[in-house]
Amino acid sequence: MENRDIKNLPKNEFNSIFWRSFALLGSFNYERMEGLGFLYAVMPSLKRIWGDDEEGYKAAMHRHIAAFNMTVAPSPFVMGLTVAMEEQAKEDKDFDVESINAVKVSLMGPLSGIGDTFFWGIFKVIATSLGVSFAMKGSFLGPIILLVSYNLPNFLTRYFGLKLGYSQGTTLMSNLQESGKMEVFTYCAGIIGMASIGAMVAQWVGIVTPLEFEISGSVIVVQDYLNEIVPELLSLTATLAIYNLLRKQMSMGKVIVIVSAVAFVLGILGIIA
Amino acid sequence: MSFLQATLIGIVSAVSYLEGGWLGECKFREPVVTGALVGLILGKPEQGLIIGAQLQLIFMGAASIGPTAGLSVGPGGTIGAAIALATNSGIEVAMTFAVPVSVMLQFMQTIIDTLYSPMMHRVDRLIDEGNKEKQIIGIHYLNLIITIVVYWLITFVALYAGNEIIAKVVDSIPAWVINGLNAVAKVLPAMGFALLLNLLMDKDIVPYLIMGFALSSWMGLSMIAVATIALAVALVMYQIKSKDLELERRSFSDYEEEL
Repeated sequence: MENRDIKNLPKNEFNSIFWRSFALLGSFNYERMEGLGFLYAVMPSLKRIWGDDEEGYKAAMHRHIAAFNMTVAPSPFVMGLTVAMEEQAKEDKDFDVESINAVKVSLMGPLSGIGDTFFWGIFKVIATSLGVSFAMKGSFLGPIILLVSYNLPNFLTRYFGLKLGYSQGTTLMSNLQESGKMEVFTYCAGIIGMASIGAMVAQWVGIVTPLEFEISGSVIVVQDYLNEIVPELLSLTATLAIYNLLRKQMSMGKVIVIVSAVAFVLGILGIIA
Repeated sequence: MSFLQATLIGIVSAVSYLEGGWLGECKFREPVVTGALVGLILGKPEQGLIIGAQLQLIFMGAASIGPTAGLSVGPGGTIGAAIALATNSGIEVAMTFAVPVSVMLQFMQTIIDTLYSPMMHRVDRLIDEGNKEKQIIGIHYLNLIITIVVYWLITFVALYAGNEIIAKVVDSIPAWVINGLNAVAKVLPAMGFALLLNLLMDKDIVPYLIMGFALSSWMGLSMIAVATIALAVALVMYQIKSKDLELERRSFSDYEEEL
């Protein structure tokens, strides 16, 4: 597919796709998932492209209410790419319209994978951890910093995603995957995510044991000894133990029940607090 | 809780849910945000922020990835924070309401999401009829209206009508149960971090987990400090890895030339 100039996409249409992309999950349902949200976002473009061809317009609408599901932040990339492909389909009678949905479907997996890692695994973690550290002290900077630091990448990814999707679309995706640059980028973002998780376990879990023993008249406070070896050892142990449960493909509901029940009993027995 | 307060908290709850579908997952749902707003509405801004932060840790790992049902963090966190502040209690009470409510509401949402599937066939028919763009968009927006009404109503009724019952329930919790709940409130954040580990885990980046833990647990560095150090390390690793890629590509093209 050839590259297009972003100038060919009318400004008001660009804005409309950008803002409508925020409502992608709006009418989520199990049959088409984000299908109607996707159609809603590209509808003004379809009208411009196919306005003078009623059957073509209907066919295009049907194409974009098809099942679609991906992490929301990178979705404008796919929307931009879709509009570019629809334009080509209108100009070129031999264009295989089936390929439009094939491309959409092929992007859902990789873009969701990258999107989940970045938005749920890294941006959310960093934003909420900064938010918590201020809110714990009773500062309104907490919620403000949380929202700003998350939405900066959220808005930028949508804006530039839409631009790149329209202008370079498929070329860009295949270049990124072939060159291995994306993997390097994900790896490096993972470094910040992992370090933040390590720090948060140390700072905010705070499991301690109130256990005390009396041996020949002197009181031994177990927590004091633990602190001398590794501060927050119990928090780290609990996190790793639960991580092991999760790796056993146990459902999240089950893990929650097991973890809560064990913690509840240990709490009543006065082993942890 | 006054009529006005329950109404306003109901709005916070509704917005915290529709954030996912309509506001591009902008994170309004996070308990740090909803807790602060609930605190303002109930005239206890500082307690609101702190309860919000504590609930945030409990919900830390809750992510709604793909179509798998997660937890309805927004309304659950809002209702939990509101009950804790209204009854002057701590995180154990906030958690006791927030977690079950967020599970139940997610279950209810699954039903709404299932019931909305047949609406898509209506859209198919509208497309065939032609010139029905307004109605198609209407079906999209109908979901917004349903969301607002359902979440506002549930929150309002629970807080306004359930006010006295909730206060009685909270008062009647015996001390030993509070001890148990306290322990659960301490361990659930560990579960959150375990979920995050599960999402990001890759053998190659385990050293950075150790680094973050060590910097914080022995050296007592703050979150921002650790994140900044990690950023520096990540930038260095990016340069190293990019060079490796370059070398790989060069040796590959040399190899091709030789052939």
